[in-house]
Amino acid sequence: MDPLAAIKETFFQECEEQLAELESGLLAMEGGETDSETINAVFRAVHSIKGGAGAFSLEALIRFAHVFETALDEMRSGRLAPTSDVLKIMLRAADVLADLVRAARDGEVADETHSQALADELRGLSPDAASDETESEEDWGDFDFKPLAAAAPATTGQWRVSFRPRADLYAKANETALLLRELGRLGPIDVELDASALPSLADIDPEAAYLAWTVILTADVPEGAVREVFEFVDGDCDLEITAVGEADSSDAPAPEAAPEFDIAALLAKVQDAVAEPAPTPAIVSQPTDEPPADAPARAQVSGPSATAAAPSAGATIRVDLERVDRLIDLVGELVINQAMLSQRVMEAGLARASAVAVGLDELEQLTREIQDSVMAIRAQPVKSVFQRMPRLAREVAAMTGKQVRLVTEGEGTEVDKTVIERLADPLTHMIRNAIDHGLESTEAREAAGKPAEGLVRLSAAHRSGRIVIEVADDGGGINRPRVKAIAIERGLIAADAALSDEETDNLIFLPGFSTASEVSDISGRGVGMDVVRRSIQALGGRISITSRPGKGSTFTMSLPLTLAVLDGMVVSVAGQTLVAPLTAIIETLQPREADVHGIGGGVARVIAVRDSYVPLIDVGAALGYRTDPINPSTGVALLIEGEGGGRAALLVDAIQGQRQVVIKSLEANYRQVPGVAAATILGDGRVALILDIDTIVAVSRGADSLRSETRMAAAG
Amino acid sequence: MSLTILTVDDSRTMREMLRLALSDAGFRVVQAEDGVHGLEVLSGETPHVIVTDINMPRMDGFGFIEEVRSDPRHRGVPILVLTTESDAEKKSRARMAGATGWIVKPFNPVKLVDAIRRVAA
Repeated sequence: MDPLAAIKETFFQECEEQLAELESGLLAMEGGETDSETINAVFRAVHSIKGGAGAFSLEALIRFAHVFETALDEMRSGRLAPTSDVLKIMLRAADVLADLVRAARDGEVADETHSQALADELRGLSPDAASDETESEEDWGDFDFKPLAAAAPATTGQWRVSFRPRADLYAKANETALLLRELGRLGPIDVELDASALPSLADIDPEAAYLAWTVILTADVPEGAVREVFEFVDGDCDLEITAVGEADSSDAPAPEAAPEFDIAALLAKVQDAVAEPAPTPAIVSQPTDEPPADAPARAQVSGPSATAAAPSAGATIRVDLERVDRLIDLVGELVINQAMLSQRVMEAGLARASAVAVGLDELEQLTREIQDSVMAIRAQPVKSVFQRMPRLAREVAAMTGKQVRLVTEGEGTEVDKTVIERLADPLTHMIRNAIDHGLESTEAREAAGKPAEGLVRLSAAHRSGRIVIEVADDGGGINRPRVKAIAIERGLIAADAALSDEETDNLIFLPGFSTASEVSDISGRGVGMDVVRRSIQALGGRISITSRPGKGSTFTMSLPLTLAVLDGMVVSVAGQTLVAPLTAIIETLQPREADVHGIGGGVARVIAVRDSYVPLIDVGAALGYRTDPINPSTGVALLIEGEGGGRAALLVDAIQGQRQVVIKSLEANYRQVPGVAAATILGDGRVALILDIDTIVAVSRGADSLRSETRMAAAG
Repeated sequence: MSLTILTVDDSRTMREMLRLALSDAGFRVVQAEDGVHGLEVLSGETPHVIVTDINMPRMDGFGFIEEVRSDPRHRGVPILVLTTESDAEKKSRARMAGATGWIVKPFNPVKLVDAIRRVAA
């Protein structure tokens, strides 16, 4: 790739980071953290975006960022108070800035009217400061050497430059020899050293400046060009630049005759001349007692800043995702290989306590650790997706006219990158729903004695090897009578269906169900909670809802931390080896004949588990391995809990054991098979299918009793 | 012998641009992400010129310049300030801290290399 294009890509990546930083900083300020560190971080984010935009001449972005930066600078210097009104404008400005960045990235033309309006609002915040709009763009020409052809009319052929450096000039690491060299680039120079101020050696202060130079420059250039050579040392020297008159110039050697400027000779000459006073650190520090006195002070300065900075200083590297995935793939193969090796050793009849078996145990442990560490590489905090939600909440709040406060918790919770990427859509939808449908209107809230501002809480946490994400609102809760009425009206359930509260709440996950009587433009058309549930399921996750009338609803999603491995229960069914995800299994039981009852003419069976009955599904029959269900007492039942808390018992022939398996996509390698989620390779090298428990339950229920298909699906 | 340039900038974009421009010009480039990191790099490097940003987390350009100027080993190194701030106040603060010169962003590679040549012995 063209290096500049690659840098541009980096720039846009960095912009996303800065935008995230900007937003979280502004939100923190809204929450009362108006310390200078936060304000500075916010300022830096906008400043960096502007800097990069300048390098790529992204004009619209530069203009807006500049106005934004000016307002933030006012805030930084304390002239603009970070009130909630000001911060609201800034947050919207951050949104506009994000739009402009994305437009620039995609090569689109951003909506100028929108950014113009906000730019005006920002300018309105600090009327005095916003006047010098173009200054930053105009002023960067001061470093160019003007072409000689552009010489001003008032040039003469010669300049006399009298130059007497002060000690400060050297302290800032400027160098007379270099300035003379620069002058020499303009034309032939004749240099005269004035060493009359040089004291005797004993009186010399090595840090002081004693020398002065007079240079006759023969060049047809304007005074500005000569002055520019001394730009960096302006104020650190006495400088006098005068045009040498015609009369003088005739005395001076003719320009053509001027010797070729010999930089080496000049440098040598100058070095000789300044050898004594030149500030060499070794000479400086030894005679005085400076370093010892100085060192502790420095240590003090760098000490705290170094420790304070340590947490954020964690060195990182950027690695191509493909390489990580390749590594994960290989480690997956290693796990399989290790399992195969174990099995071979067992088959060879070696004793458990033999050295080989013990060594294998250690290998297994190591393999696990390697696998965990490799998975951790792909793990990222959910922050990246949580961060998009405040903006969404603001927009939905504005559209619905509701007041909303979005609180996020557990942003640092880590989960596989793929899971994070695929979380964005369902989360977006759920936050929209929570505000649009979950929260009541401001008037209704006030009438109910609640605060006018609705609260939506988005949280993430690790719980028993999974990540649990909750979206909770303090709205009115699920309106159960209405949900039921709608479900009956749409023919989703029988009019006389007796549903528990939980089952009623779960109706909203049914395909085609939408609680809003008028489809609002916010929650979209035809996209309901069923889509959310399907995307969560596709990630191997589960979603459930709890709701309390008048208090609000909570959606809870439980997701695997990675999509690469799965803790599974390995079972035998009709001579096949299958894997059931361990997370779905509550317990296993040995069915007794007396506990199993046939219903619906004996086709479907239920099993009594303590004080309730759950459907008993023969996995072999459900997958078509056999036509006749086996005698329950010869097999083992896995009591599982499906989506929404519905339970069922899966009947299998035998349990082989519990194992972590590497997931291989069946869809990618073969095709989608109903009832099968994926595949894995077992220790003996054979392929085992991983069960899609929810589909098996739903399908077999539908086959067993078509009459109540939808109702049962809702419950399961 | 090619000159070694230390660049100190918190923006990855800027670091990459500086690296590209400077290595194309034949310089050896070492980089740091902020003032604190810059000082760490200086403990193992002796650059001929330092190019630093002003606005940075942890330790800004002013602080960094002051630290370098108070370090006997590095206080003679020319330091160019690289910043979008073109106002006189920023320049004079940088100079007070001990900056040798400045480059106003956005820079082009020619301007950048030119400025380094002006201060490099």
